[in-house]
Amino acid sequence: MDRERIEAYVDAAAAALDLPLAPAHRPGVLAYFALAAELAEALAGAPLGIGDDPAPVFTPIAPDDPPEAGSASSR
Amino acid sequence: MRAGELLVGTAGAIAAAVQARTISAAAMVDASLARIGAIDPAVNAFTDVVAERARARAAALDKRLAEGDEGSAALPLAGVPFAVKNLFDVAGLTTRAGSKIEREKAPASVDAPLVARLERAGAVLVGGLNMDEYAYGFTTENSHDGPTRNPHDLARVAGGSSGGSAAAVAAGEVPVSLGSDTNGSIRVPSSLCGVFGLKPTYGRLPRNGSYPFVASLDHLGPFARSAHDLALVYDAIQGFDRADPACVERGLEATAATIGEPVDGLRIAVLGGWFRELADGSARAAVDCVATALRAHREVELPRVESARAAAFLISNAEGAALHLADLRSRAGDFEPLSRDRFLAGALLPAAWIVQAQRLRRWFALRVAEILREVDVLIAPATPCVAPTIGSETIEIHGRRLPARPSLGLLTQPISFIGLPVCAVPVWRCHATMPIGVQLIAAPWREDLVLRVAHHLQQAGVVDAPVAALTASR
Repeated sequence: MDRERIEAYVDAAAAALDLPLAPAHRPGVLAYFALAAELAEALAGAPLGIGDDPAPVFTPIAPDDPPEAGSASSR
Repeated sequence: MRAGELLVGTAGAIAAAVQARTISAAAMVDASLARIGAIDPAVNAFTDVVAERARARAAALDKRLAEGDEGSAALPLAGVPFAVKNLFDVAGLTTRAGSKIEREKAPASVDAPLVARLERAGAVLVGGLNMDEYAYGFTTENSHDGPTRNPHDLARVAGGSSGGSAAAVAAGEVPVSLGSDTNGSIRVPSSLCGVFGLKPTYGRLPRNGSYPFVASLDHLGPFARSAHDLALVYDAIQGFDRADPACVERGLEATAATIGEPVDGLRIAVLGGWFRELADGSARAAVDCVATALRAHREVELPRVESARAAAFLISNAEGAALHLADLRSRAGDFEPLSRDRFLAGALLPAAWIVQAQRLRRWFALRVAEILREVDVLIAPATPCVAPTIGSETIEIHGRRLPARPSLGLLTQPISFIGLPVCAVPVWRCHATMPIGVQLIAAPWREDLVLRVAHHLQQAGVVDAPVAALTASR
């Protein structure tokens, strides 16, 4: 992704998310987005087939499952 | 033996002395509080000290011991002072998670399960420890609370994000501590501060009662100055808790009792490729030293490690940012300047990148599982280099200049990405003055193997975690 496309995408995505980017923060955001884009390219060539599901697997919660235990004030 | 001498020894020796009533838990807590008072102004590991609570709990334990309570006399961590990264809930303290924003919140009403479990095993909490804001960093250069300084060289970083947890142990303020590790936040500071750290298998320990960073990748675990102490703490904090949806329901798999079993017969190999190329001379020498001691002559390579590291970065960036989206919208200026722009960028990542990263995670785990059918323990450097000086923007690895703060986790990220258990062990004499860590990695749920190998290396004098030579006047 070249710089022009990164700037256009970041500004549009930030507007869509209602995420204001202060002028002082924008250069850093562009630099980190560019780093993420570079890393995403490292993923592009991965040999993933149709059967390669994402790692997280959801566990359904039934009404009669036991309630959550322990403290959960921060999580 | 005096409490001050015991404090800089092992947790196991402290517990034995308290159980035998040759020293009191109160004396151990006072010794810890005194050392924190004398040393911590220089190190800055602690952000909270709970002296009143610690003294009350130590006195209660001493009373039970004096009354002949057999249960108390058998507690594996009787009278051992400990401290926790300040993202753990501690009743009465605000869980700041290294941030400015969270300290406006109400104090926690109950202790995190792991804090409660350690206290049930006889340990006594003395305080909360400094960290990178919201655990997003590898250096603990916290702009709100100041940087934690490396006890072995106060001009250098302690590593992060659990920098206070490693530094407090290296400085002899406490013998054991707890931290968290999403991409390397236990193993990186262990490496840079020269202590032992255990990142258990993903899902092994419940994380409820701790402030999250990246639910997909967060782990909790202990720091210590010996592998046996790590095992004692790990055994005390195991156990299922339904409140953490990632926590796996498994019974206690005790490690301390078998830690002295021989390592002969274990199939041990060195990780090459990425793990060799991104290690400087000190890091390579540390791996070679450990490999020689273990007679590990085989080298193996993991497939697509660069992609795995990239995927871990992207998942962390997106999940971490989504967690803080409301505050990023309304008060971005209150975030840590060193990670704020990274958080803001993370909120904008395309969904396709993150889904691909999660698909690669399972693919990578399956490929590495194939390798772990043939190998019991893998050896890799924990960090590319020893601790940089505070404020360093770059590190140099074989002529390549890399950004210091994200690059310290290059060698840990691919491993935590697939949740493998790792013990980081400290190696000396590979650098003129500083320690550097080596990762001992095993298949899921085989914490016993990495702890056993770590213990063997310590008994053989190959790895060691001496208390830093700090004095109050320094």
